[in-house]
Amino acid sequence: MKRVFLVGMLPLAAVAVTAALAAGGAAAPSSDPGVSNSQVLIGGTAPLTGEAAAAGLTASGANAYFQWVNAHGGVKGRKIRYKVVDDGYDPAKTVQGTRQLVVQDHVFALFNSVGTSQNIAIRPYLNQVKVPQLFVASGWSGWGRDYRKYPFTMGFIPTYSAEGKIYARHILATRKNAKIAVLYQNDEYGREVLSGLRAGLGKRSRQIVAARGYDPSEPSVQSEVASLRSSNANTLMIFAFGTRAIQAFVTVKKLGWKPQIYVNAVSAATTTMRIASSTGQTEGAISIGFFKDPADPRWAKDKGYRLYRSIMKRFLPGKTVSNGYYMAGMAAACAMTQALRSAGRNLTRGGLMRAVTRLNFKDPFTLPGIRVKTTPTDRFPIQQAQLERWHKGRWHPFGRLLAAR
Amino acid sequence: MSNFFQHVVIGLSSGGIYASLALALVLVYRATRVINFAQGEMAMFCTFIAWSLLDRGLPYWGAFFATLAIAFAGGVALERVVIRPLEGGPTLTIVMVTIGLLIGLNGAAFWIWGGEPKSFPSAFSTRTVHVGGVVFSVQDAGTIAVTLGAVVLLWLFFRYTKLGLAMRASAVNPEESRLVGVRVGWMLAFGWGLAAVLGAVSGMLAAPSLFLDPNLMRPVIIYAFAAAVLGGLDSPVGAVVGGLLLGVGLELLTTYVDALAGLQLPVALAIIVAVLLVRPAGLLGRPAVSRV
Amino acid sequence: MIGFALRALVFVGALALAAFLPTWLSTFRTYEFAYVGIYFIAILGLNILTGYTGQISLGQGAFMALGGYTTAILMADHGVKDVWTLPLAGLAAGVAGYLFGIPALRLRGPYLALATFAIAVSLPTLLLYDKLDRLTHGEEGINLFGIPESTASITPLRVLGHDLPFEKWIYYLTWTIAAALFLAAWLLLRGRTGRSFRAVRDSEVAAAVSGVHPAAYKTLAFGISAFYAGVAGGLYAMATTFVNPGTFPVALSLTLLVGAVASGLGSLWGLLAGAFLVEYLPTLAGKVSSQPGVASVVYGGILIALVVLLPDGAAGGLRRLARPLTSGRVFRS
Repeated sequence: MKRVFLVGMLPLAAVAVTAALAAGGAAAPSSDPGVSNSQVLIGGTAPLTGEAAAAGLTASGANAYFQWVNAHGGVKGRKIRYKVVDDGYDPAKTVQGTRQLVVQDHVFALFNSVGTSQNIAIRPYLNQVKVPQLFVASGWSGWGRDYRKYPFTMGFIPTYSAEGKIYARHILATRKNAKIAVLYQNDEYGREVLSGLRAGLGKRSRQIVAARGYDPSEPSVQSEVASLRSSNANTLMIFAFGTRAIQAFVTVKKLGWKPQIYVNAVSAATTTMRIASSTGQTEGAISIGFFKDPADPRWAKDKGYRLYRSIMKRFLPGKTVSNGYYMAGMAAACAMTQALRSAGRNLTRGGLMRAVTRLNFKDPFTLPGIRVKTTPTDRFPIQQAQLERWHKGRWHPFGRLLAAR
Repeated sequence: MSNFFQHVVIGLSSGGIYASLALALVLVYRATRVINFAQGEMAMFCTFIAWSLLDRGLPYWGAFFATLAIAFAGGVALERVVIRPLEGGPTLTIVMVTIGLLIGLNGAAFWIWGGEPKSFPSAFSTRTVHVGGVVFSVQDAGTIAVTLGAVVLLWLFFRYTKLGLAMRASAVNPEESRLVGVRVGWMLAFGWGLAAVLGAVSGMLAAPSLFLDPNLMRPVIIYAFAAAVLGGLDSPVGAVVGGLLLGVGLELLTTYVDALAGLQLPVALAIIVAVLLVRPAGLLGRPAVSRV
Repeated sequence: MIGFALRALVFVGALALAAFLPTWLSTFRTYEFAYVGIYFIAILGLNILTGYTGQISLGQGAFMALGGYTTAILMADHGVKDVWTLPLAGLAAGVAGYLFGIPALRLRGPYLALATFAIAVSLPTLLLYDKLDRLTHGEEGINLFGIPESTASITPLRVLGHDLPFEKWIYYLTWTIAAALFLAAWLLLRGRTGRSFRAVRDSEVAAAVSGVHPAAYKTLAFGISAFYAGVAGGLYAMATTFVNPGTFPVALSLTLLVGAVASGLGSLWGLLAGAFLVEYLPTLAGKVSSQPGVASVVYGGILIALVVLLPDGAAGGLRRLARPLTSGRVFRS
């Protein structure tokens, strides 16, 4: 009986405590929420734990950049505070976390939330309550494409389908009659790169002789690669993630297959490619890049890289500098800072949206020549990419900067 | 036709990995009647320990055996500290504990080593052999060989050593084993230790081809369960047979039956459920007799 | 008799507290408490299954997914108003649960846990199956925000002269249903059915000999439990305004079982504690450190500690699943 009583007190106590906590809330500022004289509060959700936790590192990178900005006086006299809520890549948690940021923390804007379905889940809500959803960490084309319906939402990196199109154009330009096999992760991401590839090939899309999707619930992709091999294709697209991309390279070599390989940008980080190179068929693989890869020695003397490294050293000591996710986060944070600056001292959400749709600057973390550019009718901030070829343990850029639309 | 055989070979390669983890599952079940949901994460964690040792400069075999020793100690400790207090209690509590271990170990691996994929050296050469248009990998053959070897060793151990006999007795008839002087508690712990060792071996066999990150064993464990159930949860030979059959079966089904492409996991699930219904003892297990 | 009156009073008191809570809580906390209610319903169902008939299920989240998807599909593709989808969500899940209960009869203890675990793990994959895309909308999921079938997600509902924003509306809806389902469960369990459930759990053979057919009651329990999960899932979809394969991960099934274990048998307070645990434990674990992985370590650790220190459940109600040696006990002693 005592146990029941004690346990009974538990929920009551929980309720009392939370009620007390909730009752005292911060007074709403006179201007837009999240803005005070000394700081502006922005928020985002990211997978800080769980299977996709690698992608959550962008949030750390972005936060480090903001801290650097703050150390140099902030933006128009305000410090940028960035609050990240862990959603473990579960869209239901993204929804809850985002509502918390908007309704409880009163953030000024949402920044760099990670994931395609995660952001799809919160897009209607954020647009309804007119909270900017900026620089979404996902290459889904919907962010820029649907701006008429969702004007408060904007992406950042080149879209997955644009990436697919670039590969298609390169194939048509260099090996017109190529027989193409595709390995793709069977989700929003993989399917969109594939459809971009198809769109880019146009009438020649029947040159895709085999396409195999895989689910991350399978431990290995060697089965799919072997199936693709039997199609006798001479070109292989690897639209995969993490260990699966590495396995694909290794299986290709194991099977004695020597196709021209194209690998998607997300899996093309130098650190990943190096691992794949030890037992895999990576020589000659082609990918695109738009951020500077911190593991690539060619940036050693580059100003942007040096800035990156100094920020990492000061604000994220002990973390792996060569991990490209941090760079991606900083690149986005730079764009956000730029937008906040352009929006002026009198900071409103409307003003921010105005600024964000009129960007035109050189981000120190993007490849040389790639500018961050938006207009009210063109909501794709980064629309350029560089083709690169993996040769002797490094990525070598070739050709001009391409349009990534 | 060589394509068909290539898929069979691939199926055997996956099957070898399932079999090696299934062996660990079977051992735990046979020795302690527990289904250890955390077996895969334990294996992954031990593989990371091996990786750390290698990273610090230890030669391969040094790291390998050191890891086995650590795995054994860890398994024993786990049983004594966490499982033992729940002995004799409801099945549910043990299930909860192994789930807690599953979650905790996965998080610990992320915390200590991060989520970036890492390469792991193989005990076997990375050579491939081409026979009649079909490619075999020495690594995969080695995995199956080691697993078979482990089964043989286990069989010899249980059959011909005093310790093995004591362990079998403890599992089947604890009361009377105690009467004869067997330290039943330690036998159970030993069972967990041994299973942890098998799990570590499984991880170190799988990592070279699957590549090492905290989610290494997450997909494998379900297939390992399917293999163990298929072969019989109390039969080590069954685990291997089940694993290889499962690997080849799933491979052929998902490659050649269009409707099943991409559904490897649900098919494995269906197999688990079907076997448990039709013949719960599995192919090679002994049917349980229920006393009224 | 006094015991009954006291308990009735406590129940009414709890109802009153729940009714007035939103006036003191912030909007967001009200929203979180709506989720507590959802988990309360799911755990209630799971308790009937696991606590009363001793069938371990690691798949409650999968049945929630069935209910959630039913609600989402009916709302988005078939124009059914959100509230009316709930009975259908419950029914769909309940039927599936009942059907699963039939083969499950042959599975004991850990085997059943294994089978249900396999279901929870493979359901997201099944939901992603391309041939089902037209029904499930694949990974892009189904959006329920702002569609006409959704109540209060955009404009607050006007009730008795007061504006009821979305968060409060979903809170009241959830807890009303929770209270009703709790009463239903209570009535069910204190009567013959409940006694039959417990008889089956304690000894199937003895039950059969006494004229209680284990098969019938075990499958019934599965059906009921899944029905509860289905309703909870439908509410979950409504509260989240979005479903896709990722919104019902394995973690959900595991967390629900944790909540059920922590709650014990049927005690109202135990179930509430369990529901609070499900909603807040991950967040609390995350607060320990923002370093990746630590939250899971803390969560796993707490789980193990909970089970080891309180093997009988927080409300002292989780009865030992005492069974004859050969069919279910972990070890002999």
